[in-house]
Amino acid sequence: MTTFILRRILLSVPTLFGVLVVAFLLLYVAPGDPVEAMVGERADSATIVRLRAQLHLDDPLPSRFGHYVASVVTGDLGRSYITNRPITQDIRERFPKTLQLAGAAMLMATLVGLTLGVLSAMRPGGLADRLALGIAYLGISFPVYWVGLLLILLFAVTLRWLPPSGYGGLRFLILPALTLGMRSIAFLARMTRSAMLEALSADYVRTARAKGLNEWAVTLKHALRNALIPVITVLGLDFGAYLTGSILTETIFSWPGIGRYVVNAISRRDLPAIQGTVLFLSTVFVLVNLITDLAYAKADPRVSFD
Amino acid sequence: MKCIRSLVLSVAALVITGCGSTGAPTRHELIDSRDQYDPRSLDPALSTDVPTGRAVGYVFDGLTRFDPNARVEPGLAERWEVTPDGLTYTFHLRHGVLFHDGTPFTAKHVVNSWQRALDPVTKSGAAQFLFPIRGARELNAGTAKILSGVTVHDDSTLVVTLAEPLAIFTKMLAMPVAAVVPNDVPANFGEHPIGTGPWKLVEWKHDDYLLFARNPSYFGGAPKTDSLRARIIAEPSTGVAEFESGNVDILQIPASEASDWQEDESKKPLLMSTPALELVYVGINTTRGPLTDVRVRQAINYAIDINRIIERLISGRGTRAAGVIPPALPGYDSTRKAYPYDPAKAKQLLAAAGHPDGIDIELWTSVAPIYLRMAETMQAYLKAVGIRAKIVQRESAAVRGAARKGQVDMILKDWYADYPDAEDFLYPLLHSANRGAGGNVSFYSNPVFDSIVTKSRHELDETKRNALYRQADSIAFEAAPMVFLYFYDELYAVQPWLKHFVPPVIFNGQRWTDVTIDTKRK
Repeated sequence: MTTFILRRILLSVPTLFGVLVVAFLLLYVAPGDPVEAMVGERADSATIVRLRAQLHLDDPLPSRFGHYVASVVTGDLGRSYITNRPITQDIRERFPKTLQLAGAAMLMATLVGLTLGVLSAMRPGGLADRLALGIAYLGISFPVYWVGLLLILLFAVTLRWLPPSGYGGLRFLILPALTLGMRSIAFLARMTRSAMLEALSADYVRTARAKGLNEWAVTLKHALRNALIPVITVLGLDFGAYLTGSILTETIFSWPGIGRYVVNAISRRDLPAIQGTVLFLSTVFVLVNLITDLAYAKADPRVSFD
Repeated sequence: MKCIRSLVLSVAALVITGCGSTGAPTRHELIDSRDQYDPRSLDPALSTDVPTGRAVGYVFDGLTRFDPNARVEPGLAERWEVTPDGLTYTFHLRHGVLFHDGTPFTAKHVVNSWQRALDPVTKSGAAQFLFPIRGARELNAGTAKILSGVTVHDDSTLVVTLAEPLAIFTKMLAMPVAAVVPNDVPANFGEHPIGTGPWKLVEWKHDDYLLFARNPSYFGGAPKTDSLRARIIAEPSTGVAEFESGNVDILQIPASEASDWQEDESKKPLLMSTPALELVYVGINTTRGPLTDVRVRQAINYAIDINRIIERLISGRGTRAAGVIPPALPGYDSTRKAYPYDPAKAKQLLAAAGHPDGIDIELWTSVAPIYLRMAETMQAYLKAVGIRAKIVQRESAAVRGAARKGQVDMILKDWYADYPDAEDFLYPLLHSANRGAGGNVSFYSNPVFDSIVTKSRHELDETKRNALYRQADSIAFEAAPMVFLYFYDELYAVQPWLKHFVPPVIFNGQRWTDVTIDTKRK
């Protein structure tokens, strides 16, 4: 197990390096100049030239990349061109908020999605199944944007139960988490249903039933556990995606997370901020994937990493 | 399908119409919803955008400032005198002004602040607004160490010598970059600013809000409300929901939603309108291909039904432009008639210019949805007279960069005044000294126009100056270095409990000092 984790961590180094190279090159070829955003609409050409030189933007690409990698290795992601704040500080402030939102969305998705899936599989074609199918269709086909605004109108503007937007306690978390988790709820419900159906028709389930276990025990103890593998895959991928920027949800709900940060950075061509965030989020994604793989072993004893 | 859609729409309609009225809040806090993105920093030297400039205006003072109607008021300078040659300003500063940390303000702070903003190490993108001061350019270029044009007579007298006369110099001093900061500014000053202004920064949650507390010893009279919260709301529809829930006190209504508000009887009484100093136009690069011919540029102006664009795309919230000077500013000529919609004349002009078969051009625009719609509409109008316009849509920084380098035929953009004066339209947008980066993306260059604008900059007599502005504007209008679209009229919704709020004409013209919340209102 430890060897496996170590090997995976070592293997992620070239992955992250690759990400860095691609991000660097993409930003290099993309049109737009960070200095344009620094100087505003009315600028002075001498100032633009000087700022470019001060930021080493005119240096050859390999030298710029070398400098960047050298500072990244020491844990320094640099300072934002626009705000002059350290990138690490910006990420430290925003990432926990994204993590909170993603966590709440995943929790909601797991609870609701799994329950719906299990209920559907227990009686295919029944009322619960049809209801779950309806919810799943809605969740998959409604755009996040529309769902978010509709939830705001209903729960915040009309009913006044929850605040429309902003960051704060649990009350502020519910609507964005629901909006973000909607798609996962839908996918999980469908995924769990089909995996459960397969598991429920397996021989060991028949054996379990034959030895007189009640239906709930059979479903939850024997079938569900075996149906979890594909579910974990979906959860892991979705969680990774949520962590690396739930841009729309964060924008609609004025959630001060990393997604909005990176969008702002991109539109201002704030190179250190974009590169730093991309690198950080790739690391997060790699870690989430690693944890997902470890979870397989936990769910299915046949999976072993040694 | 149709059935589902109508079902969805009716659910949405139910939800929307269900909203009830809100009573007055019990809070003693003003809440603004206008910022759509986080300010860059509260360091005045770094202020190049509206959210930043607004916040800097709360915490800091300059020697002068703007009132909501964009008139210059004394700020840290109580009064000033100008020598008849327009070159030397003597500022008499206020006594007894304290920074938020208790340090007394003196003339030395002004010099240090400006030197700091100009110092290349500060990496200010707005330093050029201080260039009128003698020696400022040299300091900024790194060829001088001190700002030679400024001398401190005593703690409360400052003499400023300009490189050349500039009638509107005191307006430039009300800009964020000219604000006065303490000596020995620490590295994290942008996060922990200390100024002399009416509000102190208490807390800044990035991308969420900035919270300010009243400065009880503010020299201009302490704010009447305890605190001010500037919320950052990225999505305009969310801002509307916050306003309808009574969580924010004012709302800037997006142009695309203006008609909904104007036609709703219950919302109408909340509305306030103000002429924004914003020109929306299409810069025509006068140095590229067929666009060098004035007839072609005029043809483009004749070919587009701009009144219809104003009416349909921005709910009529614009004054048709016939020149670059907004109606809210002296120098505006209300008698000048805009180019009428006349496709026949456009075709005739094109033919006369030697393009009977039309021309091919590129029209660049940013990714803002309203701009794309506008560009597509113009594309259709242009096509009708034989001008084949290809729309190139890029991110605003990319569009701006390309236009500054002269790589763009036409660019749809806007221009917000940095300070309320016709000069801030004529000079940056069309003077040849500003071709490219300075703001003149039309690359318009006309010695006659240049000399009139230069003369107007030197002219201290206001009446004569305004006459020069009108004259220059009229020349530019004939030369058509742009498609003159419209001046936007800002629409605000203001909660009924908010008292004494006046929507500002210029971005930093409303500092909330007199605004109060009527908590007893039902």
